[in-house]
Amino acid sequence: MLDEALIEQLNRGYVCPPDAGPAWRAACDYGFDMSLVEDALSQTPEERLDEHQRALDMLLMLNPNINTDAAE
Amino acid sequence: MPQNDKALLARLSEHRVEFVIIGGVCGVLHGVPLVTFDLDVCCPFTPENLRRVESAVKDLHPYHRLTPDKLPLAFSNELLARLRNLYLQTDLGKLDCLSEVTGIGDYQAVLKCSVPHKTSHVEFNVLSLDALIIAKEAVGRERDLAAIKFLRAIKERIERS
Repeated sequence: MLDEALIEQLNRGYVCPPDAGPAWRAACDYGFDMSLVEDALSQTPEERLDEHQRALDMLLMLNPNINTDAAE
Repeated sequence: MPQNDKALLARLSEHRVEFVIIGGVCGVLHGVPLVTFDLDVCCPFTPENLRRVESAVKDLHPYHRLTPDKLPLAFSNELLARLRNLYLQTDLGKLDCLSEVTGIGDYQAVLKCSVPHKTSHVEFNVLSLDALIIAKEAVGRERDLAAIKFLRAIKERIERS
C-alpha cells in the first residue's frame, strides 16, 4: 500500500522551506524552482560554471539556430 | 556557434588581460541558474590592455559581431583611443568587453567591487554579489529583474548561513 503522504510529496515538487527569508520566499512565489539555486549553492563556482556550460551546450544542440544575440 | 567561457577565461588570463567578470556568467558563478550566451567582462580600455585582448583571441577569427559587415578585429591607434566597448564573436564564443558598468562605474570602480575567484587553472576577479545586484537594478531590464530575484535570495541565504 502506497503512503499517501509520500505520493503527495513526490507530486508537489519544490516547497519553500518554512524558515525561508522574504527574498527566498519572493523568488519561490514568483515561480522559480529554488531547488536549482540550492543545488548551485552546494557547488563550487567552477562546478557552477561547468553546469552552466552543459546547459548551454544542450540548448545550442537542441536549437542550433537560436539567436543568441536576441537571447541576451 | 559554440560558447566556451572557461576556454575564453583561460585565454584572457594567459595573455594577462586585466578584467573583472560581470553580467550573466558573474551571476552563474554566484549561483544563479540562468543560461547566458556570452561572456561579459569589464576591463580598462588602455591601448596595452586592448592589445592583450587582441592577442588573446587573434587566432580565433574575432570580429565585431554587432557591426553590419562583421568587421574583423583590427586595432588602429585611433580606434584604440576611441573604443569604449568591444562586442566580439570568436571561435570560442561571444566575448563582450565593456569599459564601465552601469550603476557601478569605470574599471577601477568595478575592480573595487570585485572578489577573487579561482578555477582549477585560472584565477580571475568577479563582480561581487552586492555590486551585481546594484548593476542589474540600475539597468532594470525584464531579464535583469528576474536575475535580481535570484541574487537577492542567494544573498539572503548566504547572510543567514
